[in-house]
Formats: sequence, C-alpha cells, structure tokens
Amino acid sequence: MASFTLNGKPVSVEVSPQTPLLWVLRDNLGMTGTKFGCGIAQCGACTVHLNGSATRTCVLPVSAAEGGEVVTIEGLSDNDDHPLQQAWREHQVPQCGYCQSGQIMQAADFLSRTPDPSDEEVTEAMSGNLCRCMAYVRIHRAVKRAAEISQASEASTAGVGVFDPSRDQEVTHGQV
Amino acid sequence: MARFEDQLAAVEAQGSDAQGNDISSNGGEGFTRRGFLIGTMAGSAMMAFGLSGAAAAASDGSANNGSASESLAAGRYEPTIWYAIAPDGTVTVHITKAEMGQHVATSLARLVAEELEADWSSIEVVYVDSDPKWGYMVTGGSWSVHHSYLPLSRAGAAGRIALIEAGAKLLDVDPADCRARHGQVISGDKSVSYGEIVSQAGLERTFSEEELKEISLKPASERRVLGTKGTALDVPAKVNGEAIYGIDVTVDKMLYARPVLPPTRFGSKPVSIDDSAAKQIDGYRQTIELDDPSGVCQGWLAVIADSYSSAMRATDALKVEWQRGDSYDISEADIQEQGHTLVNSPSRDNGSLFVDIGDVSSGLEGASEVIDSTYTTSSVLHFQLEPVNATVFEEDGHWHVHCGNQQQTLAVGMLSKALQVDKSNITLHQYYLGGGFGRRLYGDYTIPAALAAKALGRPVKMLFTRPDDTRFDCVRSPSVQRLRSGLDGNGKVVASEHAAAAGWPSAAMAPAFLIEPVEDGGKVDSFAISGADHWYDVGAQRVWAQQNHKAHEVFVPGYLRSVGPGWTTWAVEQHIDELALAAGKDPARFRLELLNAEGRNAGQAPHSVGGAERLRAVLERAMAKADWDSRDSLPDDVGMGVALTFGQERSMPTWVACIARVKINRGDGSVDVEHLTAVADAGTLAHPDGAMAQLEGSLLWGLSMALYEGTEVEKGKPKALNLGAYTPLRMNQVPKMDLEFVDSDAMPVGLGEPGTTVVAPAIANAIQHAVGVRLRDMPMRAEALKAAL
Ligand code: FES
Ligand code: FES
Repeated sequence: MASFTLNGKPVSVEVSPQTPLLWVLRDNLGMTGTKFGCGIAQCGACTVHLNGSATRTCVLPVSAAEGGEVVTIEGLSDNDDHPLQQAWREHQVPQCGYCQSGQIMQAADFLSRTPDPSDEEVTEAMSGNLCRCMAYVRIHRAVKRAAEISQASEASTAGVGVFDPSRDQEVTHGQV
Repeated sequence: MARFEDQLAAVEAQGSDAQGNDISSNGGEGFTRRGFLIGTMAGSAMMAFGLSGAAAAASDGSANNGSASESLAAGRYEPTIWYAIAPDGTVTVHITKAEMGQHVATSLARLVAEELEADWSSIEVVYVDSDPKWGYMVTGGSWSVHHSYLPLSRAGAAGRIALIEAGAKLLDVDPADCRARHGQVISGDKSVSYGEIVSQAGLERTFSEEELKEISLKPASERRVLGTKGTALDVPAKVNGEAIYGIDVTVDKMLYARPVLPPTRFGSKPVSIDDSAAKQIDGYRQTIELDDPSGVCQGWLAVIADSYSSAMRATDALKVEWQRGDSYDISEADIQEQGHTLVNSPSRDNGSLFVDIGDVSSGLEGASEVIDSTYTTSSVLHFQLEPVNATVFEEDGHWHVHCGNQQQTLAVGMLSKALQVDKSNITLHQYYLGGGFGRRLYGDYTIPAALAAKALGRPVKMLFTRPDDTRFDCVRSPSVQRLRSGLDGNGKVVASEHAAAAGWPSAAMAPAFLIEPVEDGGKVDSFAISGADHWYDVGAQRVWAQQNHKAHEVFVPGYLRSVGPGWTTWAVEQHIDELALAAGKDPARFRLELLNAEGRNAGQAPHSVGGAERLRAVLERAMAKADWDSRDSLPDDVGMGVALTFGQERSMPTWVACIARVKINRGDGSVDVEHLTAVADAGTLAHPDGAMAQLEGSLLWGLSMALYEGTEVEKGKPKALNLGAYTPLRMNQVPKMDLEFVDSDAMPVGLGEPGTTVVAPAIANAIQHAVGVRLRDMPMRAEALKAAL
C-alpha cells in the first residue's frame, strides 16, 4: 500500500512499492496529464512536484513518495491561472503539447526559487526538458513572462498584470 | 510532374488505399467532386458535401423529391457534413486531419469562418473518426491547409449565401441589400443572427459542383480572419493536463501490454520462450505469440499484465531465444555502399528518371570544368515524444482502435488484413498526437495491440517503451547522392546531373503513391527525390531516383518531416555553393543569377505563381536582414552560409531562404551556430501565429538534424535507442533567430516541413566559408571537422 497526498488530497493505492510513481499517477489514479517520454529521467515529460521539488517520476519508485506531497499539472492551480499557464496561453507555447506538463512543472519549481531569472538562468533550468516539437523559443519567452506576471501581481493587488485572454497576442510577422 | 493531390485523387478514384487494397466499399469520395447540400436536421443547419438531392434521387431511382434536408436525412447518400450551425449559433467544424502540433483544426476552421463570416467565438471543432465517408484520410506532406483551402472556403461561402438568402426573408428585405458579419445577417439597422435564422427559418439550399466552383471567394483586402492574429483552439487543454492523447485512453477491463520485439524487423522467429522470471513479477499474466496474417508483426510476442509497469518489468525479465532474420548482419555501411554503387551507375532497374531536360551528357563533356561531389545523410529517428501505442477492443463484432494516427485509411486496411475482418467493421478513433513528424503515417503499431486484443478476447492497451519505439521506428533512410555539374568558361552552369539513392517510404508502405517516371523505367517515389527538381536554371538537367533495396531489407523506410527534401536539399544547396566557389562568385548572388524564373521556372497560377521570382525575393530579403555584405569582414573562424528551399513539391512551393552564421572552435571542431535568419513566403497565412510556430520548430529540427541527431542501423536496429545516445537539440543549443514571413495573398501552401531542410546546408556552407572545409556527410560531427582542419 502506497500513501501520499496528491494535489492536496490523501490517496492510498495498492501497488508494489517499486512501481514508478509515474504509472501510479497515470494508471492507478487517472492523472494522465503527466506523460511518459523516455523512461530514463532524461526528457522531463514525467515531471511533477514531490515535496515542492520538480521530480522525474518515470524512475522514482512510489515508495519514495510515501507520506509526501505530490502535485501534478492538474493540481498546479485552481482555475488554470498559474502565471505559467497564463503565459503559456499568451505566448501560444504548445505545439503537440506532449512535453508541456513537464515543462510547466519544471518551470514552476524554478520560478518559485528564482522569481526574477536572467535569460541564461531560464535556459539552464529548462535545458533538461526535451521538446521534440522544438517550441523552445516560446517556452523561454513564456517563463520570462510568467516571472513578470508573478512579480506584478505581488507588487500590486490592483489587478496589474492580470492576463486578459481577449487581448491580442504579439506580432507574428517580424522578429522572433 | 503530376501534383500529388491528383495522385491522391486517382488513388481514391480507383477505390483503393495506398497499398492497393480495395476501399470502394467505403464509398469515400473525396469532397472535391461533389455538390454541396445545406439542409436542416434536428434543428441544426448541416453543411455537407454529397450528392445533391435531385442527383441522388436519380442515382438510386428513389422517389426523393430532391430537397437537401431529405437527402441529408436519408443518410444513404453518405453526405459528409463538414460543418453545422446549431440553433444557438455554435458552428461545429469537423476536422479530418490529425492534430499533432500544427494547430490544424484552427487553420481549417479559419478557412470556413472567413467565408462564412462566422463569429470566431462561436466556432467549435470535432476531430472525426475513420468513417469512410471522409474520403482518404491522411495528414502529412504539409498539405492540409493547401488542399483544404478551396473546398473549405467554398463551403463557408456557400453557407453564407444560404444564410443571407434565408436571413433576408426573415428581415423582409432583398438579399442584395444584406451582408453577413460576425455570425449575423445585416441589412441597414436590422439584423438577425445565424442561430435565429437556423431556428426560425431553417436552411434549404443545394449547390451543384459547378455552382460551387463559380462562387468567388473574398478578395484578400476583405479578409477578416485569414492572415490575422489569433490563438489556437488546442492550446488551453495543453497547459492544464486535459488534452487526451492515445496513451491516455483507458477502457473498462483492459489489460496492459508491451511488445516483445524480435531482433530484426523481418524474418525473425521465437524459438523458445522462458517466462519463469517474469512470473515472479506482480501483475504479470502471460506472454503471447502474435500470429499476424498481414505480415507486419513477424515473430512478435506480447507481454500481458495488469499494469503497464508490470508489463515493462516482465518483458525485461523474459528470456527468448530467437531465430534471427537475415538482415541482422546488414549494417548502415552496407546500405551506404549500395547507395554509392547506385549513384555511380544509376539505372532503370532500381528506379528511373525524375527530371530529364536537354542533353546532359554532351553538356558535361563540353564543359570547361565539372564539379563532381557526393553527399550522404545517415539514419534519423522520429523520436516523437509520445511513444507509439494503441488501445483496441471488439464490441458486437466491431473493432475499435483508439490511438493518434496520421493515415487512418491505410491503418484500417492493414488492420483488416491482420484481424481478418472487413474494413467496415473497424473504426479508428482519433486523439491528440504527441508528435507525428510522419511516424504515425504508418499504423503498424496498431496491429500488435489489435492481435493481442483478439487473442485475449479483452480490451488491450499496448504501449511501446522508448527503446521499443526506436527499434522499429520507420527511420529516415540513410541516403547517398552524387551531383555532377559543368561550368562554361564564364562560370555559367551548362548541365547538371543528380542521382539520389535511399530507401523509399512509398514503396514500403503505400505503393499506390509511386508515380510514373518521366520516361521508361520503374515507378518513382516522388517523396524520396522531390527537391532535386529545383528552381535554378542549370541548363540541361537530369535527375535519377534510385531505390536502395538494401535499406528495405533492414527497416521500413519512413516519411520523416520533409522526407526527400531533407536529403536532396542538403546536396543541391551545397553543390550550388561549390559551383559558385568554382566560378569565383558570391554564393548568394550566384543563386540570384540562376533564379531567372524563365521557362519551367516561371511558375504557374495559382499554386506556384511567380515561380523562381519568389525564391529570389526571399533570398534578397534574407541577405538584407542578415547583412550579407558583412560576410567579407567577419572575424577569424566565423562564416556565413546560405541555402534555399521550395519546400515539399514543385506544385506546392513554400519559398524559404536561410542564412546561418557560425563560429568554429578549432580545438575540438565544434560548431557554434551564432545566428539563423530565415525568410519564408508561404502565400496567405491561414493562422499566422501557428505558421510562425511551425517555422520556428522546423528550423530548429533542421539544426538538430544537422549537428546533433543521426544514428546508424546495426544488428537490425538503430544504434541509439534512447536519449543519452540520441541527442536532439535542447534549449541551451538554440541560436538567436530572426524570422520573417513575406506578406502575400497568394494561395496558401504548406508550413509544417519546409523549414527543416535549409538549415543543414546553410551551416555546411557557413563552415566552408569560415574555415575552408566542406562537410558532405550529415550529421556534421565535431570529430569530422576537427580531423579536416
Ligand atoms: S519519461 Fe521521465 S524523464 Fe522522460
Ligand atoms: S510541444 Fe511537442 S514535444 Fe513539446
């Protein structure tokens, strides 16, 4: 029996202790937002937060999460309004989308530790996550934008930096 | 050359799928050859391609009085409903294309919305299953928007005309005094919404095929949707975990399976199976041999378990002795040796001529200098991030196959052979694809799942691990190409011969897509040679397409993003540089001279209007953006190179120029790509932001293949099976990029692939400029450059 907290709720699952957390989340608990890409901790598609840290779950035995707090993409925010999710929509980041849960969970952990990152810091933090569609330009841009959104909402409660989905996105002709 | 679209139509008309299997019972007739029906069913307006009422009545001799609604309701004419308007005004557009990162539903819905004058916020999309009424289902070749442009635009326009007529009646005005905007019919200060028209008046209108063709589409100046900013419909579900991919499908009572792959793709057999260690694994159930009448799974086993994790571990614990197929001993070097033989003496036994203009032999003989070079590319993996998988079950004699797929019609034909059931008893249900890139054009991965479900009499979800996926990937075939071109005394190109040898995807998977050669000889896979028929004026020109059969013995040569142009552009664009160098000319200006847009290179309206002129234009723009003239004063070991592409096919050209600036590290031979400039002319952009995303991604794919990917087949499989050994580009390897689309209202063309092909030759040309070394083998490895320095 494995027990931990998933997106704020306690869960218990009857699985053998060496089962990777990824498969427990996906197959036993129905949280399919977390993906399987390489199975050897090298692509980042399976990234969730375990006790607040971005963690690859494809090689992590569920026993390692015993009693811990697990947050998946489904539990990142209440209304899909985490600054990263806002920025991801604003900059239209996903292509096939398969890597994006992992990208967002990786970035969320990074921004929580580095609220005002430089370009280089973003690149370094995100280079472990493969995007086969190569949406890297936008992933980078959106991490920076999310940092801005977070900072603005901290600096003011007057609605500064609130994402308005009806707002036009940026110019698509011209420089990237 | 025949447009591929015509080829596809011909395949459909023959009533066969791309493997030559009969699909006539499907009744699928592409949507281009029928009239358009607008009628009302269950309160909603339906817009369908199909036989119009009168014609339908005549064709089956029924007493149908010919109203569109009755034809739609009768169902027996299999009307293909492309979109519907509900009484609340919601416009539902049916999408037959696979959503794999290109936001195709958004682009196609935009085509409809533009002419329908729909309110974008009222648009919904539905990805349809493999019902044969949709015609031949394939998503590839960067075709979707280009092929759908006229039919879907006309369908939208026909709907608008019908809505205006019905709306005018409700408003009691003359239709001529009405216009449609944002889902409303407006006359002066009166208006009525589409939803109101549908619920109050209903719609009843048919357009014959001729009437449909005569509808004139809006001039570009009137466009309110195409070419404008806007977001993609599939993005929100991809940032909160809600998007469902094939891998996410679950079905009641399903078992999990992992394939156990034999040592070779063809001709292997299990000799003994020992699952005693597997039995120690919790949840392991059994190992089954897959008996496949279709021949796709030769000697495969499947491990069945209660969870995927158990299936994975049990497979690793399984001990199988195999009798190996003969191809086990064929290496990539053997395949390439065969390729060299083929290009050194091309013949009609292994393919044929793809281009034959003028007298190349005497042109080369009379030349004052002949440049003769050979270029190679090695095997490339798709590595789409979601490994292939399928979930299959049978219910009441009907087989349901759940997965992401790019060529449903082909997959259904294969499944029918494997399961030995009629195609009408098989439905493929579509999901988001965790990357396609051509891998999922071949539905081989659905077969073992279906066979396992059949053997067990229970739903089965079969998932390949990453190494499983790689082992039997339909890799991009390694290629060898030889180009020989002659220059006269003034540095003018007088003749050029190009021979390319590779495995042919269409020969392996879809023989009906092979085309006739320009003269005698065997059929040709245009996908494996396209790009060699470039837009430069090189005098007499001959192009040989050669099929490397040795490749086919080892693997199924795949369609991989761009397919043939991925290697032909590599060769052509380096060769042009080599000619410029020999002629003592600047390589960009040399290209401008060759792009004279005369004769066959003048282009044809509407698809390739402007011809080589447009390639000149993107090149000139890229030169200005990248400050090409600074090329002569760059620091040591820094170089600039250029390459061009016209995308996938001469009949659907996407014009792209790319300039790379590189810095060479002499110590280890590594290449820093400092900057990429690209200018593309893809005609009208249905969805400009999606277009830019495709350009960004495809260029980086090109960079990734140029420097970081590539593997070799060896002992029946690719050497690199997973990350670590296979190293696609990461964020820290992304160069600065400066990208631009030319403003154009020409017919939209494709964008998913063209960017992939130009980067590698632009880098190779830049390396040559920086340090005088020409690398003719892709990927360009640091060791090779270091050795040459
Ligand atoms: S699936 Fe876990 S890192 Fe790739
Ligand atoms: S969006 Fe497709 S892998 Fe990242």
